[in-house]
Amino acid sequence: MGIILYYEPELRKPVMFVGWPGIGNIGMLAVNALKDMLQAEEFGRVESWDFFYPRRVSIEDGLLESLEFPGTKFYYRRLGDRDVLLFIGDEQPSEGGKMYGRGDRAYQMANLVLDVGLKFGCRRVYTSGACVSPIHHRMKPRVCAVATDKKLVGEIKKYPNTILMSEIAGRGEEEGVITGLNGLLLGVAASRGMEGVCLMGEIPDWLAGASFPYPKASRSVLEVFEEILDIKTDLGFLDETERQVDEIVEGFYAKFPKEMKEEYDQRKVMFPNTPGPVTIQAQIYIDERFKKGGEEGGDGPS
Amino acid sequence: METVPVEIYGTPKLDCPSLIVGWQTRDVGKCSVRAVDFLIEKLNGQMVAEMKPSGFFSFGGIRFREDLVLAQGSQFWACEKDNLLIFKSDEPEFEQYRFLSILLNTMEHYFRIKEIYTLSGTMAWTAHTHPRRVLTVFNQRGLKEHLEGSGLEYMTWQGPPAISSYLLWVAKKRGIPGVSLWPEIPFYLSAREDPEALKAVLSFLNDRFRLHLELEWLEGEIKEQGEKLIRLRAEDPQIDGSIGRLEKGLPLEEGEQLTLVRKVYEVLRR
Repeated sequence: MGIILYYEPELRKPVMFVGWPGIGNIGMLAVNALKDMLQAEEFGRVESWDFFYPRRVSIEDGLLESLEFPGTKFYYRRLGDRDVLLFIGDEQPSEGGKMYGRGDRAYQMANLVLDVGLKFGCRRVYTSGACVSPIHHRMKPRVCAVATDKKLVGEIKKYPNTILMSEIAGRGEEEGVITGLNGLLLGVAASRGMEGVCLMGEIPDWLAGASFPYPKASRSVLEVFEEILDIKTDLGFLDETERQVDEIVEGFYAKFPKEMKEEYDQRKVMFPNTPGPVTIQAQIYIDERFKKGGEEGGDGPS
Repeated sequence: METVPVEIYGTPKLDCPSLIVGWQTRDVGKCSVRAVDFLIEKLNGQMVAEMKPSGFFSFGGIRFREDLVLAQGSQFWACEKDNLLIFKSDEPEFEQYRFLSILLNTMEHYFRIKEIYTLSGTMAWTAHTHPRRVLTVFNQRGLKEHLEGSGLEYMTWQGPPAISSYLLWVAKKRGIPGVSLWPEIPFYLSAREDPEALKAVLSFLNDRFRLHLELEWLEGEIKEQGEKLIRLRAEDPQIDGSIGRLEKGLPLEEGEQLTLVRKVYEVLRR
């Protein structure tokens, strides 16, 4: 079980961004987009076969040519006085067929990712995921944040469109859970003396079980990434995916009965603290083909 | 605390044997289990080692077939006279890479195997009246060339890998040559048994290892199954039509496929 580095780039005070799939693929989409925006270079990977069953075999004229595993890749980009490390995992290692990372394998994966971060002098890691919230789908999703250390709170408050989890109405004293590796990695980072922040883009609660991505929330997270790295890029590449997803969601919304629509539309002017009946009712209008099997993950408005 | 994953019961007299692997789960047409059980019995196989199941299986229950419980497990059988090792196992549900690594560690370091043959039936959209092809996947060009002219057909495929392909890939990383044997089984026989496919794969192994096994007994099974299917075709024009279409290489509608599977299953149960 280990790491393969193709070469060892020299990096200055790198900050690390990590993405795995999750609800709405918000975090993974954001970190993947960041990698593309920065034109980051792949320089290593975690040996996948210890964690995953292969996805695809290629056999040609009786010869086994290749076996393809989910990607677990490291990238880097030099940015002047603050370089960037990225890790993108195509799948979360899990136990018992669960969709999101859990168990020993997830813990081992988190440590391997941080081994690479620490090797290159990284002291801070950002993960990203979904914050399942009772918001309206036409609203710009906020970014909800959780940190490993109180001293990061002041900095987080300066991020655009970002709110601390405790500031969300009704959640002041509440505990929550960030399911899967986007959460677990922060715990492991803290125990290894690293700073960590999880940035979660809001997704309407009734869409948490949908199989399509939610790029609107990824855009919000990317805007925070830009602020952190002090870069400005064109996020126009998200426009088309956003338009397609909006079209699907508007299609579901159009089928809501009048009273339900009225109740749901109140979300545009006031934030309910907890999911109401409309959360459950709205899920009924998601076509079967857009429903995701398996458990939910990420933070939830519980 | 991790226990020793393989318990060795004996030290057989083997000289760089070949390994035959038979998987008990997802065994299309029961080809794999029947082949290895037959080999173990006829070649006087002795159980020499066992892999402990902990960590690899869910233990969610036990399978049974024809009223008999099928013991879950992973056993190594040695056939000294013919210099063969046989590994008979359920497919691991978890930690597959570790499972396959332990298997090959044991094979390499304890038994010093020279090559691997895996057995698994594959469903084919063909008629039972057609000859059975044995499709193959090799992990090294050398073994492929060595077995050229053995009547094997080469598979071309892309998609999710079976455990046999995964094993070959791990073996390839270690430089161990291997081949997967995939006898084709008409889809409507896959839930029952296909003695014709069994004969095809056993005949290959018989020749390859000069086992001198008597396979005449399979002719009786083939004849009996063939007669049942002839009667079914005579009694049921729809089934006759469906098999006829397959004989001509034509596809069947989904409904026709399901009817064929159900009726053949019922007939072969009697």
